[in-house]
Amino acid sequence: MVALTLVTYSIGRLGLSGLDIALGVLLLALIKGHLIGAYFMGLNRVQGFWRWPVTIWLLLPGLLITIAFVLAEG
Amino acid sequence: MQYQSQAVAKPYFIAAIGLFVLQILFGLIMGLQYVVGDFLFPEIPFNVARMVHTNALIIWLLMGFMGAAYYLVPEESETELFSPRLALVTFWVFLAAAVLTVAGYLLVPYATLAELTGNHLLPTMGREFLEQPTITKIGIVVVALAFIFNVGMTVLKGRKTAINLVLLLGLVGLAVLFLFSFYNPTNLVLDKYYWWWVVHLWVEGVWELILGAILAFVLIKVTGVDREVIEKWLYIIIAMALISGIIGTGHHYFWIGVPEYWQWWGSIFSALEPLPFFMMTVFAFNMVNRRRRNHPNRAAVLWALGTAVMAFLGAGVWGFLHTLSPVNYYTHGTQITAAHGHMSFYGAYVMIVLTIISYAMPLLRGRKVAASNKSQVLEMWSFWLMTVAMVFITFFLTAAGILQVHMQRVMDKPLPFMYVQDQIALFYWLREGAGLVFLIGLIVYIASFFIGNNEPEAEVVPST
Amino acid sequence: MTALTQTNPAGQLNRYPPGDLAIWIFILAELAVFAIFFATYAFTRMNNVELFNQFQQHLDRDAALINTLALITSSYFVVRAVAAIREGASQICVRWLLAALGMGVLFLAVKSAEYGHHFSAGINLSTNSFYMFYLSLTFFHFMHVIMGMVILAAVALKARRGGYSIEDHTGVETGASYWHMVDLVWLILFPLVYVMH
Ligand code: HEM
Ligand code: HEM
Ligand SMILES: [Fe+2]
Repeated sequence: MVALTLVTYSIGRLGLSGLDIALGVLLLALIKGHLIGAYFMGLNRVQGFWRWPVTIWLLLPGLLITIAFVLAEG
Repeated sequence: MQYQSQAVAKPYFIAAIGLFVLQILFGLIMGLQYVVGDFLFPEIPFNVARMVHTNALIIWLLMGFMGAAYYLVPEESETELFSPRLALVTFWVFLAAAVLTVAGYLLVPYATLAELTGNHLLPTMGREFLEQPTITKIGIVVVALAFIFNVGMTVLKGRKTAINLVLLLGLVGLAVLFLFSFYNPTNLVLDKYYWWWVVHLWVEGVWELILGAILAFVLIKVTGVDREVIEKWLYIIIAMALISGIIGTGHHYFWIGVPEYWQWWGSIFSALEPLPFFMMTVFAFNMVNRRRRNHPNRAAVLWALGTAVMAFLGAGVWGFLHTLSPVNYYTHGTQITAAHGHMSFYGAYVMIVLTIISYAMPLLRGRKVAASNKSQVLEMWSFWLMTVAMVFITFFLTAAGILQVHMQRVMDKPLPFMYVQDQIALFYWLREGAGLVFLIGLIVYIASFFIGNNEPEAEVVPST
Repeated sequence: MTALTQTNPAGQLNRYPPGDLAIWIFILAELAVFAIFFATYAFTRMNNVELFNQFQQHLDRDAALINTLALITSSYFVVRAVAAIREGASQICVRWLLAALGMGVLFLAVKSAEYGHHFSAGINLSTNSFYMFYLSLTFFHFMHVIMGMVILAAVALKARRGGYSIEDHTGVETGASYWHMVDLVWLILFPLVYVMH
């Protein structure tokens, strides 16, 4: 997790930009979010309805952000 | 009724119903003036009727809240009220102030009233919902202070429950926010800015706490579900109401001249305001489904569920309809607003007051648990008549509003205001018709207090 | 991470998430708010790419990095606190909670310094839409950090008085879940506002 953060940080530091990089950073964030949900919050040990909210929460804005960034490029 | 002092709630409830009748009569007068412009002119001009209609509404709801507090606080605190005498004195002061103010509205022109009551000393008059003469406003503050002192002392000396605390918090908030009605800057932007702190932060902030507390109280009583469960719901609901509602004030700041970020804040936060109302609906139905017993007061259960549904429709759905800034750009100040104002006020606050009256009144009048079956059947009829009438009033106003927006603001060649009003007169006639049905419902409601008193109390219907 | 999962009997699935269900309903509502905020940010940026990219460069990414690490570690500490109380070790639990709170304080301090910097530069909500979003989003999150810390502090106090046990420690899990949510939101906020362009 810390490692992933450092990657994100260095991307920011180096001033890298571009659609693929931005989306890559987003993907990293979503992965980290998933780790928080699954392990810290303990949702990987939950079954049924309550397992999904965090995942859905990550995917939905993730998707919207992706769309917005892609459109912004195009 | 477990505590003697709960009896002070009764005059409050009776006066509330009296003012309710007054409010509706003036609504009907205005409804007619909408289509027959000179009806009752010059005796009762539209603007005066409007003041009486809206101010009577606010005052009777406040009376209802006070009655509710005097009824439920002793029971929750498990102790007698701190001072029943003070509660009765404030009742008469409040009623006298209300009657004098309405008389003032009706008997002299508003400008004269302002002069007579020394408005120039501390100008507070002339703003929608806050038209009361300054001296009446001061009276309201005094009454509110005495009331909060009385209820607060009762809570302090007795058991402290979540319901008590939330109710008290709501009442204190109500009083504190009312103080902004004394602040009347000449800058119109600032004036509107703080005006909404009373109007919006009342109905979409602190009043929701009062609503939640009363609803929770009645649900505990009629369902027998564990207090713990109900309190947990209450806490989440009020937390969400405050989080969304406070910044949600921004949905009134779109076009008054404040910085642009309010477009975003207002839209985003107020878009979440339906959540607490939605949760209230889920909460009420959930509790009734989980009930441990069937309460013989079926009318009260009906009112409680009705409140939950109608508050969500009126505030949640009809509020959301026009709360996003790009939509509000078109609908601002049209009949859409009036449609929402009617259903939300009725669904949330009128109905919650009628709920607690429905639960408490039989007990205050000496019944052991509930009124007779006959009274209850009448009361339930009145529930349906009034509620369905209100749904229709809302539909007709919404239809009128959509047409109004279209003709006046969307079309390539927008039409003038009065011309458009003529075009949609049909809906105003229909609204007046629905208003008459509402009045019939109200008459049936009042009749339910007089009919069936000689009959035995309703029994529990065996659960199926 | 693997060590954490082992603190609980593996393979056993629950129907409900840890902590009071009420807090989860609340968490969902909060997440919804942030989701809307994120999406509006992204779509507004879409129409002002230049502006957003330009002013994003002015933000202090070092501060944001420290803060991200602060929140992640503090979340981890909270996980340890929950693990401790599941074994009935109240005092250890308290210590982990205090450590988590310390990280929270660090976060607030760094963020306040950032705000101080912006405000002294005369930046406010009306400067431009990038700053409008940046300030609103981070400040809203800031308030959540404070709220989460209040909850954690309350839990820590109760734990110190021995208020939780192996059988009954829902309170700790409730506070923990809320705190993780605060962390979670920041994890998206950080790249979105500070890095992605
Ligand atoms: C029980 C709760 C509520 C009550 C009693 C209520 C009542 C009212 C009233 C009377 C007005 C008209 C104010 C005026 O004179 O201009 C109004 C306006 C408005 N309400 Fe509500 N409301 C409630 C809840 C809500 C909620 C939850 C929302 C949003 C989701 C909302 C959105 C609005 C908006 C956007 C306006 C402004 C309309 C315009 O621009 O003309 N209301 N409300
Ligand atoms: C319990 C029932 C009622 C409630 C809670 C209620 C509430 C309100 C409120 C809050 C307003 C101010 C709306 C705003 O500022 O947008 C209002 C105005 C009004 N009401 Fe009612 N009302 C009720 C019943 C009625 C009835 C039965 C009628 C007539 C059929 C009526 C006719 C009117 C009219 C004509 C206005 C003035 C609208 C305008 O200024 O254009 N109301 N009412
Ligand atoms: Fe509002």
